[in-house]
Amino acid sequence: MTLLLVSIAGAAGCVVRYVFEYLVRRNHPTSRPWATVFANALGTGIAGFAAYRLIALSDGQVRTIVLTGFCGGLTTFSSALAVPVILQREHHWGYAAALITTTPLLCSGMFVLGMSLAH
Amino acid sequence: MRSHITLSPKQLGLAMLFVALGGAVGTFIRDVLLKINLYGIPRGSAVYTTPDWTHQIPWVLLAINTIGVFVATDLLRHRLKHHDPNAPMRLLLVTGFLGGLTSYSGLFVNLAAIWHLTIGGCLLVTAGAILSGLFAGMLGLGRHRRRT
Repeated sequence: MTLLLVSIAGAAGCVVRYVFEYLVRRNHPTSRPWATVFANALGTGIAGFAAYRLIALSDGQVRTIVLTGFCGGLTTFSSALAVPVILQREHHWGYAAALITTTPLLCSGMFVLGMSLAH
Repeated sequence: MRSHITLSPKQLGLAMLFVALGGAVGTFIRDVLLKINLYGIPRGSAVYTTPDWTHQIPWVLLAINTIGVFVATDLLRHRLKHHDPNAPMRLLLVTGFLGGLTSYSGLFVNLAAIWHLTIGGCLLVTAGAILSGLFAGMLGLGRHRRRT
């Protein structure tokens, strides 16, 4: 049952990320990779909050659904690195480097922020 | 579904369905694989009590993420190169399946656990995760170059 709920939560996270990317691409077609960066930052921030807020729960099921499911679906590692790699191949070195470095820095900040809010 | 930057409500609903389907399968597989618990440490929390930080390294997630970058790069540069970002196959495989299979937040939950034990180890694992992802992406590009 948990596995099913985790899958549904993951699907919901993916859809939120896609809608976010879609809205950015529709209004600013060249800035879509930044939507992925911010989706990752948002998902990591929620994970930081949930990891510390939900630790008191004896039921690990909720933690797994939120962290592995929703946050895992909302964030993506594959696109976060595949897109910059392709961009550097197309000689957009600065753009690629900015995406690669910004994602972990922003995610770190958001994780700490989420963690701080949870305490 | 036709290729447009702006989708009609019906097209957007269909696109979300493709993403949800791929995302559900990707998340399902990641969750099953993450049950492979190398050191018997409970999952789902950033605060663990094991003294050995190397036992906190999320080897399974690192492998999933690295493979995910390789496959995504290969797909985006080769098989799905000419597909619109809203094309069903791209939504199903890249945005949905690989997006659900790989996880940035899960990595950070594990990194936080390592940070509690050793900051140096945490930075080392972070650098390793990103560099292995970049290497996998380069391999995905190279695979494409050999084919053309």
